[in-house]
Amino acid sequence: MLSFILILLAAFFFTGVINRTKSILSGRKGPGIFQPVKDVLRLFKKGAVYSKTTSFIFQIAPTIYFSSVVMAMLVVPFGQSKGIISFNGDFIFFAYALALGKFFSIIAALDTGSSFEGMGASREALYSMFAEPAFFILLGSLALLTGKTSFHEIFADFHLGSSISYALAVLSAFVLGMITMIENSRMPIDDPKTHLELTMVHEVMILDNSGFDLGLILSAGLLKFSIYGALIVNLFIGIFPYQYTIPMFFAIQILAAVIIGTIESFMARFRMSHNAQFIFALTSVSLLIFFGVLMVLGKFI
Amino acid sequence: MTEWINASWIIALLGIFAVSLSGSGIKGYAAASAILLSSAVTSWLAVNALIGQPLDLTINAGIFLGDIPIRIDQLSAWFILIINFTSITGAFFGTGYLKVYENAPSKLTLHWSLFVLFHLSMVWVCMVQNGFAFLIVWEIMSLSSMLLVIFDNHHLQTLKAGLNYLVQMHISVVFLTVGFIWVYSKTGSLSFDAIRTFFQTNNNLWPFLVFFVGFGFKAGFIPLHSWLPHAHPAAPSHVSGVMSGVIVKLGIYGIFRTISYLQSDFNLLGEIIITLSVLTGIYGILNASVHRDYKRMLAYCTIENIGIIGIGIGIGLIGIGTSSPVMYFLGFGGALLHVLNHSLFKSLLFYSAGSIFQQTHTRDMEQLGGLLKSMPKTALLFLVGAIAIGGLPPFNGFISEFIIYSGLIEGIHSNSMYQIILMILVLAGLCVIGGLSVMAFTKTYGTLFLGQPRKTLDHQPHEVSRLMLVPQYLIIALMLSIAFVPQFYLNAIGNILLSMRFPISIDTITIAFYSGSAAKIGLISLIFIGLICLFWLIRATLTRKKPQATETTWGCGYVAPNSSMQYSGKSFTKPVGKLFNSLLIEKKNFEEFKPEEIFPEKRKYDSNYVDFFESNFIDKITKYLIIGAGYFRFIQNGRTQSYVLYGILFILIMFLLTIFNLIK
Repeated sequence: MLSFILILLAAFFFTGVINRTKSILSGRKGPGIFQPVKDVLRLFKKGAVYSKTTSFIFQIAPTIYFSSVVMAMLVVPFGQSKGIISFNGDFIFFAYALALGKFFSIIAALDTGSSFEGMGASREALYSMFAEPAFFILLGSLALLTGKTSFHEIFADFHLGSSISYALAVLSAFVLGMITMIENSRMPIDDPKTHLELTMVHEVMILDNSGFDLGLILSAGLLKFSIYGALIVNLFIGIFPYQYTIPMFFAIQILAAVIIGTIESFMARFRMSHNAQFIFALTSVSLLIFFGVLMVLGKFI
Repeated sequence: MTEWINASWIIALLGIFAVSLSGSGIKGYAAASAILLSSAVTSWLAVNALIGQPLDLTINAGIFLGDIPIRIDQLSAWFILIINFTSITGAFFGTGYLKVYENAPSKLTLHWSLFVLFHLSMVWVCMVQNGFAFLIVWEIMSLSSMLLVIFDNHHLQTLKAGLNYLVQMHISVVFLTVGFIWVYSKTGSLSFDAIRTFFQTNNNLWPFLVFFVGFGFKAGFIPLHSWLPHAHPAAPSHVSGVMSGVIVKLGIYGIFRTISYLQSDFNLLGEIIITLSVLTGIYGILNASVHRDYKRMLAYCTIENIGIIGIGIGIGLIGIGTSSPVMYFLGFGGALLHVLNHSLFKSLLFYSAGSIFQQTHTRDMEQLGGLLKSMPKTALLFLVGAIAIGGLPPFNGFISEFIIYSGLIEGIHSNSMYQIILMILVLAGLCVIGGLSVMAFTKTYGTLFLGQPRKTLDHQPHEVSRLMLVPQYLIIALMLSIAFVPQFYLNAIGNILLSMRFPISIDTITIAFYSGSAAKIGLISLIFIGLICLFWLIRATLTRKKPQATETTWGCGYVAPNSSMQYSGKSFTKPVGKLFNSLLIEKKNFEEFKPEEIFPEKRKYDSNYVDFFESNFIDKITKYLIIGAGYFRFIQNGRTQSYVLYGILFILIMFLLTIFNLIK
């Protein structure tokens, strides 16, 4: 329950902090950090324009996408307190619930019959497929390290004992951070601020969405950021009491947002054709963590 | 009990008579009711077996065959129930599907008689427990299904597919025969019980692998899979649905049956099967994502699912080898549940693909599009099937994949480094399979049903008849029951596993624990659906009074877009094709531009993907076989005199060999 509230709170400012960082680094004052939320609220009040080509799939997809993100949010724990739903192997459910949302956002993009949106959908499907092994190997390794199989137990038992576990936590944070960027279609995979439809990934898929549906998609995006942020936080807080962990939660979330903003200010997007290899290379970092865990446990023969 | 067993085949025979006597309009109904009645009988026996009263009797089949044990134990019962359900839905769907052939009664008579025979032989494959009798029933099954495949016999392609299937099934039979003879030569008995005694005293590895290859042909493990992508598209859709849903699973049944007699080498065999299965899964789904023939795509997807089932079997074997009852339960349980799940959603997908084919007469998805508007019910059915087969919650595919995943994670907590590494790689492989299947099915669904029609069809597609839709609704009802009440099915699977005789045993507490946690997932799936409905209600109330407008799709300012400018399915998965171009071989047919060609003329370009194993191995082997066989062509010279000479030579050689005591 606690994690649910904290993630919801973090979602209010996460994207705003990213945007603010970017504007400060480029020498602008920039909008307030709650601007993304205000945008969403404004969209909720608006009417919608639908394409003639679309069917009911296009109308239900944003709702299902949003629900899948909320469902994923329910299984994320916070330190010692469980997520609202917690069971053995819940991280599999986490990944698969998000995949259902992705399934619908992809077919909604294909429903418009636009070649741009089809292109974006194809890329989204490809990238998320490549990101999945990294996530599963990472969680598998952590399950091996702790001997547990649910998010909550894994993170609660992820003691930061020897110095190599610190290295593991940092590497895991890196992998999760990169997955965040891929899942949220950010630099260096995708450039949310691009104005050319041909080079977009996620933005182009939602070109035809408007009004309430667009609001749902954007708010799902806000939530996704803080969900992954919360996973990263969980790597570090472990068994500390709440008076430290709750401020730490916000500190790490803000830090993550600032880092993302900084990366986006100074980096250009990768070449589209190299993205897949790059994402797949993330799996090797996960494998590094896996071998690290084997070493920590002394199971390397 | 004998009367029940006899009833099953007597009903089927009467059904065949009824089919031949009845008018062409009701042949399908006659076959379907025969299957329904015969299924009722065998299902009753199977349910009895599942709740703990296995059937065990012997039929004396004369001097030559001797006593044939007929058994319905828990394992057979599970498969019999799956066969019966899918065959019933297939028969009713097929009745609607073949309505257009009413003016060809002889064709329909042959088809429906064979369909009844096909169903009967599949059920009997699960009951007969004598090597020789098993091979006979197995052969009846293969032959009847081959004849069902070549229903459209005026197409050369269909006949080729049928022959391909026939040949491969007989290579499979050769392996099975070798296996049974191997057992017979050591134990002197063809009964299945002899396999157990054989395994107790002999090396387990090689004999098992012989059986595995034999059954693997039916199941479609790579590189033995190459009949599937030919036979499934060629067959009428209800036949492909039943073949893909059930006949392929009988290969799995055979593997399970052989495993149930194993005595040692569990670990090694588990590792072999699990590795092969991951590769099968990835290979299958990679091919599924690039093919444009939607029925071939579904056939490759079957190969993928066989891979997932194989992963479960591998986990179970490793579980027995490392004496981990939890892995044993999760592995075999996940595999058995996925067998049921796959038989449901794959038959559903093949039936709805059949509905599309019946209305559009093309299997090329790139010529279709926007079918959701003309066939909304079929579109919804296909969507449910696509989500379920991708293993996504809240449908039943997720339950079985989740159990297999749990088995893998259980396997990670091991002391052997090799096992840990194997498990983590399989975990990665399984999630790649999941990701690719999302890609493959979004592509297929998007290209078939969404957007605008890519081509004006000669005949405007309409929604299919209720006779074709109702079987599909039934399948969905059963799928939802698995998704929301999985504990019921897992308890039944628990009974199957409790009845197997392995060096390790599981207790009812473990089963209750894991079926309890599956029940929790069922509940969470319900919550998930509830949440979607809740948000949908909120959306509906909030947007009711808001203005809504309809416009053309955003085309970046271009005002005259047309339907051929939509993204094609091929382009959708082209990045995958490029990344895995060593496995997905693309054959392109086109003419290069020549330098002197200043004003190029109209030209054609086409490309298609070919099967890696077929083009690199099977075709080459066949080519050399044909060349080799060419050297012996002089034997068949068409002159009667020579043939008489061969006979005389044969008798002479036999005579001489006997004289010199070389043969006795």
